[in-house]
Amino acid sequence: MSHSVISVSNLSKFYGDFKALDSVSFTVDKGWVYGYLGPNGAGKTTTIRTLLGLLRPDEGEAQIAGINPHKDPVNALRIVGYAPELPNLQPFFSAEEMLDFMGKMFGLSRQARREKITQLLELVGLKEQGKKKIGKYSKGMVQRLSVALALINDPLVLIMDEPTIGMDPEATVHFRDLFLELSKKGKTVFISSHLLDEVQRICTHIGMVNRGRIVLSGRLAEVLEAFTQQWVVEAELKEATPEIVSALRNLDFVQDVKVDGNKLRIELKEKKDFRGEISSEIFKHKGVLLGLNLHKITLEDAYLQALRRGQQG
Amino acid sequence: MSAFRRTAVIVGYEWRRALAKKKVLALVILAVLFETLPFIILTGVAPAFMTEEVKVTMWVFGALSGQSLFIQLVAMIIAGGSMAEEYEQGTADIMLSKPIKKVEYMAGKFLGGFLLLAFVEAIMVALGIIFAFAFFGPQRDLMFVPLIYLAIVYSTLVFFSLSFMFGEVFRRSTLSVMTAFGILIVSSIASSFLSFLYMQSSNQFYLDAGRWFPTWSATSFPSLLVSDLIKWQQNPFLMVTGPGNPIQVRTSGDVLLAAIMIGVYTIVFIFIAAVRVVKSDVTKKIA
Repeated sequence: MSHSVISVSNLSKFYGDFKALDSVSFTVDKGWVYGYLGPNGAGKTTTIRTLLGLLRPDEGEAQIAGINPHKDPVNALRIVGYAPELPNLQPFFSAEEMLDFMGKMFGLSRQARREKITQLLELVGLKEQGKKKIGKYSKGMVQRLSVALALINDPLVLIMDEPTIGMDPEATVHFRDLFLELSKKGKTVFISSHLLDEVQRICTHIGMVNRGRIVLSGRLAEVLEAFTQQWVVEAELKEATPEIVSALRNLDFVQDVKVDGNKLRIELKEKKDFRGEISSEIFKHKGVLLGLNLHKITLEDAYLQALRRGQQG
Repeated sequence: MSAFRRTAVIVGYEWRRALAKKKVLALVILAVLFETLPFIILTGVAPAFMTEEVKVTMWVFGALSGQSLFIQLVAMIIAGGSMAEEYEQGTADIMLSKPIKKVEYMAGKFLGGFLLLAFVEAIMVALGIIFAFAFFGPQRDLMFVPLIYLAIVYSTLVFFSLSFMFGEVFRRSTLSVMTAFGILIVSSIASSFLSFLYMQSSNQFYLDAGRWFPTWSATSFPSLLVSDLIKWQQNPFLMVTGPGNPIQVRTSGDVLLAAIMIGVYTIVFIFIAAVRVVKSDVTKKIA
């Protein structure tokens, strides 16, 4: 039996002659935090809007919990919380009124709505501004409210399109923690983001779309591993003497050592953490170590490599 | 949650939106002005035909005075923005990503707007009666008020649904209202011209053709009903469909024909809007 909460298969979407999505397929299972990446205009928002039933696919199908949102939006979207990129919320509502209205759309009772409103406004840091009209909110406040609105129905699936855009750093960290906490509670979180560092911190799985096609997909750790050609240890010494450099070069697991002043770039033969052995060798030759970092590969490196491959292909 | 409740939530939202945009307030003020001015003018001028018999029937004049143009215009303004403004402001995305069918959403918007229009018309009819009492004394045959009110509201469905349909098709509020208003004017002129040709030639074709235009049923239905219900030939304001009127000519069965025409036009326009809603993408913010 499939555990897929989100299932997209061979999804294609045209805007006139422009193919915005080209046979996009991926699945997101329960409890995953799925990062959906891609450059501007790659098809991220189109995928999300098709998934929510806002756009009609020209080919293929999208399903939420096995239900096609085009055929049965009531049951498919009942379990979904959606925070759009740069949300256009009704400016004449206050945050409390907007949450109340959304609660009504999900059929929540008056009592349940009241409790949820208080709880969510506190969660997103808008408790003091709950009665203020949305039209008077800053961009960051609207973004916070948008996350609160996405949580009004206690959704099993959270779909977030650039959720922290416009937020200050403190709020970004707060919401990042919130998404992690929600995933620990068994909720599935689907995040479209440009912030690769953010995605690397919180996502368990990623998918990358470019020019309407999926170019990269899988468990984050495995994707990074697949893109890692070589592990590198970067060492900073008080003085990088020729003896130390020579000794390091003679180690069995070292491919090469490159010197840049007092900084060494030690390229390893194996994908293994040899920092202990390297520091011992430096101390053996009376070296003073100021810093030692194992540099594998960042999501940004993998992202750029995947983009380059896509462009070449 | 049932489809009825989901639709009702959108009806409530539509009212809340209208109140927030001060639309209701503006319409009520306009309705008061529209109702007050003719009575003041008639009282001041006091033409010769204002006999006692005419004065006791002036509430019907009050109820029908805004029916041919003012209330149709109000209907088009409310309906033209109902769907279109949600696309223009990008708020349709938020609404339609919730567990609601597009048809339920559309039904809620239509009903919400139409109830708002019915509310404005109720104010106009009430003011018409109050002013008739205030300016011309006690009135007669008030038991027909509910039926005439319902007839007026029903007759607004043609241009309300036309403008609503354009709102969904064009997804531009101003363009929708302007197009619907243009059709009202052109249809009105064409229909009157055909009636005039009939008067000159007695060719039945002209009379029948004139009735196929949406303006005829939308603007004639309440007055046709009034002249069926109340036989006040003395009141010149109520003789608009009488044999002496050069523009509109009465034949038997017109009330039913007008009622059917209103129903047919409304169903066609709503059907086109529904097909567009269901079969097309929800467009992003376009304003």
